[in-house]
Amino acid sequence: MAGEGAPTWEELARSHGRFLYTVAYRLTGNREDAEDLVQEVLLRVRRGLETYQPGSMEGWLSRIATNAFLDDVRRRRRRPEGRLPEDPDWVLPPAGGADEALATEVLPDDVQAAIQRLPEDFRAAVVLCDVVGLSYQEIGKSLGIPVGTVRSRIHRGRALLREVLTRP
Amino acid sequence: MSTAAHPGDLLSALLDGELTAREEEDVRAHLETCADCQRELRLVTEGRASLRDLPPVDPPFGFYERLVRPRHRWARAGVAALAAGAAASVGIMALAAPREATVAPHVAQLVDAHTASASTSGDPISEITPAAAPVSWNR
Repeated sequence: MAGEGAPTWEELARSHGRFLYTVAYRLTGNREDAEDLVQEVLLRVRRGLETYQPGSMEGWLSRIATNAFLDDVRRRRRRPEGRLPEDPDWVLPPAGGADEALATEVLPDDVQAAIQRLPEDFRAAVVLCDVVGLSYQEIGKSLGIPVGTVRSRIHRGRALLREVLTRP
Repeated sequence: MSTAAHPGDLLSALLDGELTAREEEDVRAHLETCADCQRELRLVTEGRASLRDLPPVDPPFGFYERLVRPRHRWARAGVAALAAGAAASVGIMALAAPREATVAPHVAQLVDAHTASASTSGDPISEITPAAAPVSWNR
């Protein structure tokens, strides 16, 4: 059973459907995967796998969405990647053309493409911070990581994204 | 200034208001003299703005309705079965009902019966107001 006072998923779909879809799309980068992710979130809500805690509904949904997304990423991962993003030795790549000014108007599709090039753990952190608007503490709680790691992922995620946006 | 002293991750935290007063003071003091960190702050500021300016994304039309639908499939199947049964019953009744090639009501007999029962004689109300009297609705 979901937590006391948890809304039905029909209510969620009605009130927060667009928000949830947006988060799913920003995380996955394409409509098909976004739809699968939304479906997985709603299944988790319905099965009560996530305990509802009264508070920010959007924070709660985005926490479920990012965890479902990262679960899926780990499941699909066939081989371990290089160093983990939170590795303290990991450094930003050379900032190639980063000093070039961004185009006057960066198209959302370009930004989305750049998001796709971020490591998934970074992606989850910047989406929770800059798309959802959660605090570092909320993000740490959502992802089960210390605030220091949240800070690192957000900073490096933004820097990488900015770097990618200026590459040809 | 040594590399270790660069605030690094704290620059994004500065933008997000996630530093303590003391940390913020230190970071701002460092920024005043470090061109590298000023540049890094500019880059993450732009990266942050690009993310925050992204518009919401609408789900495909009917997406959530399609997700909701499977939950009610048994109820819908039941209704469909009932509807099909009802339609079949109507069909069977229609086939089984006695049919005549033509409908021939006994009109003359009905007119006679009506004439007999519609007589004004013996009816006090009809005697006061003849049935054929013109009626004006504009009085």
